[in-house]
Amino acid sequence: MKDEKSWDWHSGKKEIPVKEWQNRFNWVEEPYVSPDGEKIASIVNTDEARFSVCVNGETWENNFEKAWSLKFMPDGRLATLVSNDEEWTACVDGVSWETRFDYTWDLKFTPDGSSIAVAVQKDGQYGMAVNDTIWDRLYENISGVVLSDQGTSAAVVQADPLGQGDIEGFSSGIFCAAVNGVAQQEKFMNIWDLSFDSKGKQLAYSIRKNRVDYSISRGSQPWKKNFQFSWKPEFIDKENSVIAPVRQGGKWFLFKDEAPFWNKSYGQLWKLAIHGNGKKIAAVVSDNFGKWTVCENDETWNFYCDTIISDLFYSDNGNLLIAVFKDKGLWDIAVNQKAWNIRADKLWSPVVSRDDTIVAARMEKDGVFYLVVNGKVYKEYFDMVFEPQISPDNDKILLKTMKNGIYSRQILSLDKVL
Amino acid sequence: MQDKDTLTTNAKDVIDEGVEKGLSRLTPEKISKVINQVLTKETGARFKAYVETCMRCGLCADACSIFLSNDRDPRFSPAAKVKQTILEMIKKKGKVSKLFLKDAVRIAHAECNVCKRCSMYCPFGIDIAYMMLLVRRICHKLEITPLYIQDTVNSHSATMNQMWVKEDEWIDTLQWQEEDAREEFKDLRIPLDKDGADIMYSVIAPEPKFQAGLIYQAAVIMHAAGLNWTMPSTPGWDNSNMAMFTGDFEISGRIAKAHYEAAAKLHVNKIVMGECGHAFRSVYDVGNRWIGWTMPPVKLVHAIDFYHDLLTSGRIKIKEKYKKTVTLHDPCNVSRGRGLHEKAREIVNILCESFIEMTPNREHNYCCGAGGGVINCGPPWKNTRMVNNREKKEQLERTGAKVLIAPCHNCHSGLEDIIEYYGVEMEVKFFGDIIYEVMEKEIYQKRRLK
Ligand code: SF4
Ligand code: SF4
Repeated sequence: MKDEKSWDWHSGKKEIPVKEWQNRFNWVEEPYVSPDGEKIASIVNTDEARFSVCVNGETWENNFEKAWSLKFMPDGRLATLVSNDEEWTACVDGVSWETRFDYTWDLKFTPDGSSIAVAVQKDGQYGMAVNDTIWDRLYENISGVVLSDQGTSAAVVQADPLGQGDIEGFSSGIFCAAVNGVAQQEKFMNIWDLSFDSKGKQLAYSIRKNRVDYSISRGSQPWKKNFQFSWKPEFIDKENSVIAPVRQGGKWFLFKDEAPFWNKSYGQLWKLAIHGNGKKIAAVVSDNFGKWTVCENDETWNFYCDTIISDLFYSDNGNLLIAVFKDKGLWDIAVNQKAWNIRADKLWSPVVSRDDTIVAARMEKDGVFYLVVNGKVYKEYFDMVFEPQISPDNDKILLKTMKNGIYSRQILSLDKVL
Repeated sequence: MQDKDTLTTNAKDVIDEGVEKGLSRLTPEKISKVINQVLTKETGARFKAYVETCMRCGLCADACSIFLSNDRDPRFSPAAKVKQTILEMIKKKGKVSKLFLKDAVRIAHAECNVCKRCSMYCPFGIDIAYMMLLVRRICHKLEITPLYIQDTVNSHSATMNQMWVKEDEWIDTLQWQEEDAREEFKDLRIPLDKDGADIMYSVIAPEPKFQAGLIYQAAVIMHAAGLNWTMPSTPGWDNSNMAMFTGDFEISGRIAKAHYEAAAKLHVNKIVMGECGHAFRSVYDVGNRWIGWTMPPVKLVHAIDFYHDLLTSGRIKIKEKYKKTVTLHDPCNVSRGRGLHEKAREIVNILCESFIEMTPNREHNYCCGAGGGVINCGPPWKNTRMVNNREKKEQLERTGAKVLIAPCHNCHSGLEDIIEYYGVEMEVKFFGDIIYEVMEKEIYQKRRLK
């Protein structure tokens, strides 16, 4: 769990020289920074085909033939996927799991850090491993791996073998969802977009029943109604209902439990954002070919962009609906219909303060990186800006940056930024 | 060499299990229902205009290399392909026989490369390729698509890549190529999931499956050019799209979505794609538009454009020009479809000492004969394809060149088939092969500091 209260919100600037790592190792891979900004780490090459992880200048004691997918967990621990003697496993803060696999990928964590999951392949069979324990049953193939906030693991699995060019076998439906390794009963021609309810108990997903009929399945219970296509569903109403974008007659609709939910239809409708178990529902929509906007509770925003809306989400309190979008080739953010107009070359999804007064993001413009707060670009620029954090009392920003080979963590009071 | 007449006759008798099984399940009701649904609900003014405008003037006939390869047999002219399929379906109000449908599958899937060459010669710009894709859409809905290409589409739908490459196999292949390439550059990397890199490099699934060396070459080129690049470890790495060619527009859209979402998630400036033409058509024109993205939501650069930039900016320097005489095949989808043919010539002239144009060329070039999903219909249709590629073979032979550059995967495989089948003395290369062979293996930044 991220425990922002315990972080250092008072020291001005802390610096860690990183450039000198280049002299100590054959090469240093891209850096990652801990949520509290106290640690910076990279995978480093120590010798021919030998890799380790360097954290704040200290190298892990063990080393590996290969290492990839370095990630800080929300609680500040550092995880990666490693291989020795052609066996793979996960490694957390330098301690490897005991179970070994023929391959591991798609490293995931729960927000509280209590569960770490990976997709695994062992003896040509596929599944997941959570906290060093592999699923009881493995399958022919796996895709669409997900982990609920509570640590339930799920994926689309191929339950039956399929011969080369066996289009009849494929049409008979060989895919099902597996939860914690247990295959759900119903098999389909295709399954995509696994979506957990907020308790991590139920699963809903897009299905293809036959060559042309698509629908939604809640657990193993497919909707009876068929559609021309569908996108990722979500649970609402205390997990009692499922909503999903579905295509009918060449138009996209939002359906709830097999019935139309919103009145308007669109040329495209996807990326549902939910607040308060469905009190507020929003989606990215296009009502005019090539023009994108947001629809919230069946009302479209007074806003358009011409390229893409890549992220859409509510702040925790639900007061802010935030869209990351691209218009005329440049990236921007819109908060409650209002665009910031920062025109970035690269832009990351913003973070929001607990009281919804601060929205902070990092962006790249003309080859340098900036911090942007509530649409205002902070004056200083850097070689890299990592994800900012906002203090629990909503008046400071933790800015993590890299400049001239020096990593720096600094606390900015809001008045300095705005 | 086989007798052409036997083969032409045989084309009608090709047994494709996917088609046969699908036909055996069809009822007259289902046939007319699907045809009428597609023709009335999935077409618009464009379709109506095409159907009503064609004057049967025949100007499109000579534009079609398949027509030419079949001794100008009128059955193979573009307008005749429409007459034998769509027009008949309209006339009979969808009440067509299984035998008719079997012919329609052959015409739309094996006797048209949806290359759009004929449209350039039609006074009204009638898009025959669009009409043939409409026939394929009907075949898709009737479940009579040829087996091999259907299996490819099944793979796309389940794995988001066209060759059933499993998620671990993809990453493992990249790591293996990276390790091998360290023989040349000891610190070379194929950076996976590098958030905020400038370039996401995407390929088509045959590369990790059969031609991993091409990923190796690309990695060497990227590394030497000193670029900030990455490849996604997750699905979305495959830019190809056979669903677009079977009329499975839904799966085609999902594939394009996966590709662009992978790029957006990595916050890259642009996607650079390997040497493939149909994949370019998918992500630049077809798949993206089904989603509602009029233009690519992340800037998309084809390998020709990319190499041109590297070579003209000096990021990649040539040690010594390639000696053998080369000719160049302009892939339809990036030449007629995107106008990259002049840049392709500039690359050839930078890389090679001696270049012979094939005729016709540039946007007028003939299709390789494999494009439009025709090669993907697999072994049952190979002989038909070879007969239909006779004109292409003659075009290649007329150049007298020993090396044929084809900056497209489909073209590459199709041209290799022609060369082998007709015994043409030529070898086919990608631009990447030649660049890798003649480039200075030094890192751009370091060299500049010298
Ligand atoms: S699209 Fe190409 S292959 Fe098809 S009819 Fe026209 S010229 Fe011939
Ligand atoms: S050139 Fe155009 S109008 Fe003439 S026959 Fe061909 S498609 Fe019809």
